[in-house]
Amino acid sequence: MSGGPLIVQSDKTLLLEIDHPDAQACRMAIAPFAELERSPEHVHTYRLTPLGLWNARAAGHDAEGVVDTLIKYSRYPVPHGLLVDVAETMDRYGRLQLANDPAHGLVLRALDRLVLIEVAKSKKLAGMLGDKIDDDTIQVHPSERGRLKQALLKLGWPAEDLAGYVDGEAHPIELAEAGKDGRKPWTLRSYQREAVEAFWAGGSGVVVLPCGAGKTLVGAAAMAEAKATTLILVTNTVAGRQWKRELIARTSLTEDEIGEYSGERKEIRPVTIATYQVLTSRKKGAFTHLDLFGARDWGLVVYDEVHLLPAPIFRFTADLQARRRLGLTATLVREDGREGDVFSLIGPKRYDAPWKDIESQGWIAPAECTEVRVTLTDAERMTYATAEAEERYRMAATARTKLPVVRALVDRHKDDQVLVIGAYIDQLHQLGEYLDAPIVQGSTTNKERERLFDAFRSGELRTLVLSKVGNFSIDLPEAAVAIQVSGTFGSRQEEAQRLGRVLRPKSDGRQAHFYTVVSRDTIDTEYAAHRQRFLAEQGYAYTIVDADDVLGPKLPTVD
Amino acid sequence: MTTSLADQLRTLPDESLAALLQLRPDLVVPVPADVSALATRAQSRVSVARALDGLDQFTLQMLDAARLTRDPEQGGTATEAILAMATAGPHPPAPTAVRGAVNKLRALFLLYGPEHDLHVVGGVDEVSPYPAGLGRPAAELDPRTAALCADPAKLRRTLLAAPPSARAILDRLAAGPPVGSVPPGALEAPAVGAEDILPPDATNGGAPTGSPIRWLVDNRLLVRVSGGKGGGTVELPREVGLLLRRDSGPLGPLRTSPPLVATPPREPKAVDSAGAGQTMEVVRHTEALLESLAAEPAPMLRSGGVGVRDLRRLARALGQDDALTALLFEVAYAAGLLGELDLTGSATTRYGGDQQVLPTGGYEVWRASSLAQRWEQLARAWLTMTRQVGLVGQRDDRDRPISVLSAEAERAGAPAARRAVLGVLADLEPAAAPTPDEVLELLDWRAPRRSRGRESAHREVLAEAAQLGVTGLGALTSYGRLLLADVTEADERGADDPLGLRSDAESGEPSTAVRALDALLPAPVDHFLVQADLTVVVPGPPDPALAGELEVVAEHESAGGASVHRVTTASIRRALDAGYSAADLHKLFRRRSRTPVPQGLTYLVDDVARKHGGLRVGSAGGYVRSDDEALLTEVLADRRLEPLAFRRLASTVLATPYQVQRMLIALRDAGYAPVPEDASGATVLARPKTRRAPAGVPASTRTFDPLAAPKLALPRLLGVVEQIRRGEAAARAARRAPAVVRGDAVRTGPAPVPGHSDALAVLQQAVRDKALVWVGYVDAHGATASRLLRPVSIGAGYLRAEDERTEMLHTFALHRITAAVRED
Repeated sequence: MSGGPLIVQSDKTLLLEIDHPDAQACRMAIAPFAELERSPEHVHTYRLTPLGLWNARAAGHDAEGVVDTLIKYSRYPVPHGLLVDVAETMDRYGRLQLANDPAHGLVLRALDRLVLIEVAKSKKLAGMLGDKIDDDTIQVHPSERGRLKQALLKLGWPAEDLAGYVDGEAHPIELAEAGKDGRKPWTLRSYQREAVEAFWAGGSGVVVLPCGAGKTLVGAAAMAEAKATTLILVTNTVAGRQWKRELIARTSLTEDEIGEYSGERKEIRPVTIATYQVLTSRKKGAFTHLDLFGARDWGLVVYDEVHLLPAPIFRFTADLQARRRLGLTATLVREDGREGDVFSLIGPKRYDAPWKDIESQGWIAPAECTEVRVTLTDAERMTYATAEAEERYRMAATARTKLPVVRALVDRHKDDQVLVIGAYIDQLHQLGEYLDAPIVQGSTTNKERERLFDAFRSGELRTLVLSKVGNFSIDLPEAAVAIQVSGTFGSRQEEAQRLGRVLRPKSDGRQAHFYTVVSRDTIDTEYAAHRQRFLAEQGYAYTIVDADDVLGPKLPTVD
Repeated sequence: MTTSLADQLRTLPDESLAALLQLRPDLVVPVPADVSALATRAQSRVSVARALDGLDQFTLQMLDAARLTRDPEQGGTATEAILAMATAGPHPPAPTAVRGAVNKLRALFLLYGPEHDLHVVGGVDEVSPYPAGLGRPAAELDPRTAALCADPAKLRRTLLAAPPSARAILDRLAAGPPVGSVPPGALEAPAVGAEDILPPDATNGGAPTGSPIRWLVDNRLLVRVSGGKGGGTVELPREVGLLLRRDSGPLGPLRTSPPLVATPPREPKAVDSAGAGQTMEVVRHTEALLESLAAEPAPMLRSGGVGVRDLRRLARALGQDDALTALLFEVAYAAGLLGELDLTGSATTRYGGDQQVLPTGGYEVWRASSLAQRWEQLARAWLTMTRQVGLVGQRDDRDRPISVLSAEAERAGAPAARRAVLGVLADLEPAAAPTPDEVLELLDWRAPRRSRGRESAHREVLAEAAQLGVTGLGALTSYGRLLLADVTEADERGADDPLGLRSDAESGEPSTAVRALDALLPAPVDHFLVQADLTVVVPGPPDPALAGELEVVAEHESAGGASVHRVTTASIRRALDAGYSAADLHKLFRRRSRTPVPQGLTYLVDDVARKHGGLRVGSAGGYVRSDDEALLTEVLADRRLEPLAFRRLASTVLATPYQVQRMLIALRDAGYAPVPEDASGATVLARPKTRRAPAGVPASTRTFDPLAAPKLALPRLLGVVEQIRRGEAAARAARRAPAVVRGDAVRTGPAPVPGHSDALAVLQQAVRDKALVWVGYVDAHGATASRLLRPVSIGAGYLRAEDERTEMLHTFALHRITAAVRED
């Protein structure tokens, strides 16, 4: 029995004990085929999924190697059945190939004729396959490439896509690492470099990096690699402008080369940044801005915050299978469970790094997460107890008792930039008045938002109250404290994104603080526990304190 | 002059005869009366078939050679002739191998006689009609074919002239067996005028040939041996077959040693490791299966077995497929971990009706033993159980599905098949991992007659062995080898130690297999790692105490080599319900955890403990409430009301375990004025009720005098009289039964046989005379009894007779009748 760091479980999870001396080597060995599921402080959990194993096959790893790795690092005997299962699963990949035939265009070719016969008979593929060319080859409509791959994946016979990608319209893009317009020289961080390499080798896929770890730069580096016209899809206009700023600063692109395609402006340039919102807006039931996808011969499509991808975009993406696609996200958890669609349409996860690893390398600020439990007053409890079920969360989340606690927390961090984040507008207004701080919400104009954010960045403004608009893609580097007062029920990714607002490394390397204020003994606590799960699995240990402890030591002294 | 087998045997010394009996033990069951009886039995079809079953392919081929080289008149052959035929092929085997095989056959007395005049025992030709897959000589089949065969040049020319499709048929028949069936009409000549419209024959260059079989029969290469006007069978004459086999030799390809395994052997450590991993899985799955059966026992079907619906349910609970679940189910049953229980209060007494399958008491013992011991118990049961689990889920002859534990999956040969397959693996070098096809090939070489037709059963054995962890990565594991040796040895020991006196199973020492497996399995751990996401990881198999604690305080999430649990609000509440206090839980986590307990977990425990018991539930017989707190205080303090054991629930409510009525009386007696109220709080008015007894039937409505004697109708009376008379007669008759019939005379008599034949004569006469007869007979329990009967008929070994006393027709087995005497 070897004393390896890995324990292989029969439900195909792999437990990696990270304090083990071989843990790092083992992680490198299993990363190509196992998906990181949780990375708390002592034992990381990886999972062997068919998708992960097939991706490993696509990247050139064979079953023998996977089995050897498992046996080599496993502490205990690995069940024979599991090894057989791994080998059999990997063997299913590549029996079918999507290839470009010089005469017939895109074809589905079989290395195993029986598999082709099996899938050709499947109802799920009806309409995607064209004429039979010979016993082993069936023509495929190029427009069905994405959907066909998706359906084959569901049937358990993933096709090896040898059809390649179109290069798109060439456009010179370089990373300006030497510094531009008098800025300091910089270099791509090691993990960013690895992420880009992994993406480029795979052709298409998703890169998962923690908030604040510089996903934009991964996108920029991918563009520099592609050297082609690029379509960037972002969540909102503000995020789009941030992208633009960053691209101008970090690449050879100039302002004229980057277009904005939003509700306000409709520019199509070699690099175009569009919002999901404008793409999915409809007039008389028809999507009016779909032409954008065909407006140029895009060589690369970048999806920012891919976990938020709206359903219509999925459908458009299915038609874009010949173009390289890069998905960027910090939290690939979707409360609607459509992670699978992201993987099959944009591409498999190409790179993933535990948050705590990036933190230990110093690229994101260390954060301390604290849950503050507020005891409701008797009157509030009574209102809560008698409230309708659908009103309960709002009642608990917006309890007035939270206000003094928030103020005490703000006061505790007198020297830091503080963000207060909530979901209910009424509550935010209350907070704004109570703390005497401006509010950024959905109805705030882009101009006003920019002004407030600039003021915050410059330190002129110390406290800012944010609604849900602040969940994503707002770059506020110096924010060191976030206080969450209410959220979208039990959304895990929202919690992680909010933490992400304070994770940009601080100039003096100081710690970030993330507080979430919840009402004790209510549904608020339950949702909070659910929201924290993602971060807890990333190794962020929440400390739970009572509101009295927050308010307590700061009792006013009597003169 | 040849000597018969009996003569041969007579001349043998005792040791040689004993050696033969040891090689063919079936010859002594029962012990033959003399040597000629022994010789007859040794040549019988059954005994010869048994002897042939155990032979390998090469030895059988040598026997075929002996048969083919027999002198047609004398029936004798010689070792030299066999050797000549065996080495006639392109790859001749070593002469020593041939001689070895012949000697083996002689030791078995399948061949007998001196080396220059060997004879094949008679039964062989009955057991396998076609030696080496060759047909009968042409002379025996058809004179015209014989004529063709007598002219080798012509025969060769005819063969070469055969169209390709016909040649294909010839080649197939030449490979054996030499007999083929012919589709109806294939031998008929096409209708006149239809010759031209025959379909073109692709195998024959496009030219139409008609039926190739007809061509062959017409050209005397095949002989039609049976069949009417439609189809029939054709046979390839031996001479033609030998000619077709000239490339491979007359006996076909010969292999003196078992085929070699081409697959490279595995790393022995990897094999053991994969197998050991699988054993952990098997034990865990079995435990899960038994646990779910304990929670919800599976009902037995009326027809025996457990229904497919229950099997699916268990498979779902296990997260495994039906086949594996069925295997574990059968193995657990065979290991005595599962048993049937009659349902109490069942409506039917029919066998198999209303029974349930659930874990036995043995399960508790099993669960408490070590992992390796648990596995050994399962694996032993699997090796020896006479069940072929692969049949479960298939359909039987009547197209009904075969279910788990049903009689249809019973196969007496299953243990032997397992032993044969594993024996093949065990005889290879350690960690050799042949493919299933190679294993089957090896089995086929070792005992072709035994393995033929059992390929699917053998494949199942391989699959099951892999699932149970007896093999790993396709090779036999070290502990599997030990277990197999142990079981085989126990079997052999059983022969000369029928009572198992020397068995060491009872000594409590773990077997070598258990010790070997123990060394491979992880040692139990007594600690866990707690993490901030409230998961608890046990990095190995937990020891029983730890497992028990975790079962209470955490939810199980993932199992395998290690186990992952999650602490939730519900699990903490469960622990508190089970009697843990918050302090106990803190202590538990601190004591067991190798890592610092996260603050979140501590807080969770405290938080749940704080709320735990916030609501209290209880039962009371009645309550007293009043808005006047002082009055309630007075009631509580009243010493006369002490027996009511009031408890103050709130300032305005008292509760008592006693019923309302008693409380009311006591309170009123003490001078209070309580008013009862109902469940909705409304006052209950209690007006005293006048009590009345239930009404009886008034005398006036009675119709007759109870003291008057009952009147009986005449027919009824006559019936009663007849009944009495008959009882009287029977009683008298019983007294009068003759001594011969009563049995004591029979027992003292010198020989029962004359009495029996006398009895038959008496009975036959009685049937003719319709007379009454006293019959003495032995009943099913061996006791003698006698009856007065009127015989009706005798036939097929049974006597049918009317019993005077009971007026019923009875059937008696004649051989049970000891005596019969005419009633006078």
